[in-house]
Amino acid sequence: MQGPLIDTLARQGITRRTFLKYCATLASMMALPPSAGLAMAEALAATRRPSVIWLPFQECTGCTESITRSHSPTLEAMIFDMISLDYQETLMAAAGFQAEEALHNAMKDNMGKYLLIVDGSIPLGLDGAYSCIGGRSNLEILKEAAEGAAAIIAMGSCASFGGIPKANPNPTGAVSVSDIFTDKPIVNIPGCPPIPAVITGVLAHYLTFGTLPELDDKKRPKAFYGETIHDRCYRRPFYDQGKFAKTFDDEGARRGWCLFELGCKGPVTYNACATEKWNGGTSWPVESGHGCLGCSEPDFWDGGGFYKALSMPADPLKIGAVAAVVGAAVGVGVSVVNRVKKGAAKSAHETTDLADLEK
Amino acid sequence: MSLDAIPVHVINTTPAEPGLSGNALPLLREISELLRRLLETGETGTIDLSALPLTPADLDWLQDKLGEGEIAVTLQANGESTLNETACSGVWWVVHRNTQGAVTTQFIEVAWVPELVKAHPQDVKIGQESLELLISDL
Ligand code: SF4
Ligand code: SF4
Repeated sequence: MQGPLIDTLARQGITRRTFLKYCATLASMMALPPSAGLAMAEALAATRRPSVIWLPFQECTGCTESITRSHSPTLEAMIFDMISLDYQETLMAAAGFQAEEALHNAMKDNMGKYLLIVDGSIPLGLDGAYSCIGGRSNLEILKEAAEGAAAIIAMGSCASFGGIPKANPNPTGAVSVSDIFTDKPIVNIPGCPPIPAVITGVLAHYLTFGTLPELDDKKRPKAFYGETIHDRCYRRPFYDQGKFAKTFDDEGARRGWCLFELGCKGPVTYNACATEKWNGGTSWPVESGHGCLGCSEPDFWDGGGFYKALSMPADPLKIGAVAAVVGAAVGVGVSVVNRVKKGAAKSAHETTDLADLEK
Repeated sequence: MSLDAIPVHVINTTPAEPGLSGNALPLLREISELLRRLLETGETGTIDLSALPLTPADLDWLQDKLGEGEIAVTLQANGESTLNETACSGVWWVVHRNTQGAVTTQFIEVAWVPELVKAHPQDVKIGQESLELLISDL
């Protein structure tokens, strides 16, 4: 068994203060009260690495790419030092029977305690024949692995909502993880791919508090999906002034005006791109001059066209449904109130531990 | 047309600085409350400035009001952090930056000494052990 995490980190030359600083930043990012940084550091430093099994189904490996390319590598990598990633096909050295053996050993040894990360959707068509690993269908593998899992993290839009495999006409009969299980704690981390800091943030929350973070009605962590892209978009003042780019190279586009009329789905998309940004905080889609595709929302691929403005009734049904969601989440737009509320909710979590989750 | 052609002139009696949201003043009261608590119970407090709707002008205003103290600490840990005492003893302005130099978080810490500055007993022990080793080798 591994010793406390802080010793492992120290061996890698990561000092306690670096770790404390990381936890303080993480707590702030997750809208936890500032005191949580220290509490997190203490809890995380002493934590014994829980077993994590990561299963890939109908996916493009973009989610794995995202996490392995996260910025400040030493810090994000820290989170991976905090878990024991016992099975991850892309990253593990073992293959074939050895890999399968690792999977089964991890499940047996950590029955009821391991975290299950899933990326990719699960095809139900033709008895699951569309996607098999080692001769077994994704559904079969998932059901077996979910059995002993303390919680399931659906990584990316495919696992969360079906994603691109589920796009019309959904030839493989793809479904999401939460379409299959109703009796398991599930966290959806949608995005195509999800933002690395969001992935590690959820893992850190689980490691610290032993619970899953507070979720919205689509099972997304509110700390990261509490506001729309539009809520936090730096082009928002132009939207409010009615200044819209009409083409990608007109005067408006050059002046950085709002991309709404060019199809930006920011107003109905809950994600943290506008604040967390991409590629080590370099930029994000809207900053690069392209509207948001809405990749973290269900059925974003079938929204009627990436370049059609939301107000155009390309698919009125869909827009109606999305608008209803916006209505349901009224109130989360005000970031301060939200943070305060979350802070209060989180402080109530501080005494919970792994045992609570297993109940 | 020059501005003088406009017959009405606005005289600003309270020249509100541009960019101020009005959110910084209540913070001063909160800091004072945290100081009172520190004096009475020894309990420390932190305010996460990145979590509040403060404009750059608000932050400047706050920094200006709190002033500069005698101690400035620099921490090199995956990017530079500064932990500076303000003119108000016990109130520390803490800024964390990443390796690219961008500010990741900003806090106001009300404490005798900021948490990050203190040495941890375990680290001190490691230091002591390596010093013993060094001495025995001499
Ligand atoms: S570019 Fe998109 S997210 Fe930004 S203000 Fe315009 S519509 Fe909203
Ligand atoms: S800006 Fe929109 S489409 Fe782009 S990554 Fe963020 S949520 Fe997805």
